[in-house]
Amino acid sequence: MMKRQIPLLIVIVVGLITLFGHFFSNQGIQNFVDNDSTQWYDIIASFAIFLGALNLLKLQLMKIYKKQNNWQYSILAVLGFFFALFAGFLYRGAYTVSLSGVAVENHQEVAGIIATGTHNNVALITAGLEGNDDYTIPMVFMTEGGAEALGEDLSSYGATVISPVQWGAHLTVKLGNSGSLFWWIFNYIFTPLSATMFALLAFFVASASYRAFRIRNFEATLLLSAGIILMLGRVPVGQMISPWFVGFIFILAMGAVIAPMVKNKFITVSIVVAGIAILTVWGVLTGWDSTRPAIFYFPVLQEWIFNVPTTAGARAIMIGIGLGIVGTSFRIIIGLERSFLGEK
Amino acid sequence: MNKRALILAGFGAVIILIYFQLLKSGIIFRPGNEPMFIAVILVSLTILFYTDRAKRGEKIYLRSIAGLQALEEAVGRATEMGKPVLFVPGIMDMDQVETVSGLIILGYVAEMTAQYEAGLNVPVSRSIVMEAARETCKESYLKQGRPDQYFDDMVHYLTDDQFAYAAGVNGIMLREKPAACFYQGKFYAESLILAETGNSIGAIQIAGTGSPSQIPFFVTACDYTLIGEEFFTASAYLSNRPELLGSIKGQDIVKLLVMICMILVFIFTGLHHYGWTNLDILTLFTSR
Repeated sequence: MMKRQIPLLIVIVVGLITLFGHFFSNQGIQNFVDNDSTQWYDIIASFAIFLGALNLLKLQLMKIYKKQNNWQYSILAVLGFFFALFAGFLYRGAYTVSLSGVAVENHQEVAGIIATGTHNNVALITAGLEGNDDYTIPMVFMTEGGAEALGEDLSSYGATVISPVQWGAHLTVKLGNSGSLFWWIFNYIFTPLSATMFALLAFFVASASYRAFRIRNFEATLLLSAGIILMLGRVPVGQMISPWFVGFIFILAMGAVIAPMVKNKFITVSIVVAGIAILTVWGVLTGWDSTRPAIFYFPVLQEWIFNVPTTAGARAIMIGIGLGIVGTSFRIIIGLERSFLGEK
Repeated sequence: MNKRALILAGFGAVIILIYFQLLKSGIIFRPGNEPMFIAVILVSLTILFYTDRAKRGEKIYLRSIAGLQALEEAVGRATEMGKPVLFVPGIMDMDQVETVSGLIILGYVAEMTAQYEAGLNVPVSRSIVMEAARETCKESYLKQGRPDQYFDDMVHYLTDDQFAYAAGVNGIMLREKPAACFYQGKFYAESLILAETGNSIGAIQIAGTGSPSQIPFFVTACDYTLIGEEFFTASAYLSNRPELLGSIKGQDIVKLLVMICMILVFIFTGLHHYGWTNLDILTLFTSR
């Protein structure tokens, strides 16, 4: 009862409230649907992170202890875990220095000292000193000693106050190009690693495209042609390719396509020659306009391909997905679908 | 006409009537959502009707879906090669319907791995998904009578971050070289990274997602892809339970109604545009 019926009841009740709460004019229900339910979810998910983190730690430590395959990587994983924990929960690593009462004639000198100590722009610091009597130096110091050292250099020019950033705020505080230890880990270790993984996508797209664009059947040929048109149409070189040139290529390609179907080669050649002649006459009459005929101009063609057939196909899939989501959600809300509870 | 259909239609009409009456008084319902309310009632009753018909014994036809038929083939291949099966349930949490659908498919895959005694590795990106996936796998192994083969760590947490998770799963793929990789859930940019790495190790890959922008990547890199609503019908398809099959048919009928509405809107919008009718049909379908 506890394991199945109660969770099912919760799902049904909350699901129905969320579904029909959208229509009620009751403020309490509206608040629950729009704000409270999502906040409850955020709180539960935040506490649930402990489960995952402990599981991760346990697995990595067991791997090290049992010296399983590639256990050395697990040492890095555990060290990284504890280092981030240390920087987030134990070591604040964020101190600010504020300066007040600096005489106007000393602004330049003080700006020079601050600029040297913080690797910042002198002009910007001077402007900041002139604008504020109580000026916060644009740097977050990771150690109190570092903040005190600069404070001591500036103590003869005005009153310096060294303040630790509040716990919590220290995770995201940033002044100038500096932040806390946690901020440093995020910006100089985590972000470059994420960017590296993201950058791999470029190479994976290339390799996936190479495999997808091989001419195996009609659909693959169509995909390849559309891909070429879209790629060329989106780069500057596509605008430089004359639509007349593309038109001639198209006529020759059509000739190649119909040649196997027509037994009499004279008819095939006549069709191709006629096509070339018509296009030539058209070109002469229009003065070989560089953007016409639009049907053969890559930028116009790619825009049409993107806006019409691609959008139509994407919307069709989205409608299907939307209906699938509606159907699945409805089955879950009415209790018909219980597989996610482990029930079959 | 079917008696039950009439009863349901009458019930729906009564609810809509009560809704509009109460709407006038402005006490219970807020204005501006009339089209949405009617749509919700219509969709709900349609699905309920066909679910009921299926429960009463009507045979429902579902076309064959290659990706779902290939699930067993993939697990069998992994068993023959003596390599594990990798299941990736997406990178989002249980608040996404795709994740729930992914876990439903996980249940069936776990049944097969239990039956064939193949290894199963499920790295997850969210703690709640980890717990739900463990519950699903445990039940599947129990159902197959192989509780001894199940262990909690077959479902393990990696990280919440998108690319760190992709890096972790890639590492698992390159080290353990699973013979079958399943990507069933909600994915974003990491989809191609996972699929290409799986391709490079020679694994058979079956993907399913409700993210329209990721479907082309999966189609290109995977052997089978569940496109759009195929992914959401997996539960009904694999279980063959009449009520679930009935709900799929109801969903299809709703799709038919949507197509009819689209055609009507197209025609009437054209007529309105050229001044042949005063009815601006779009106002009937717009919620404020």
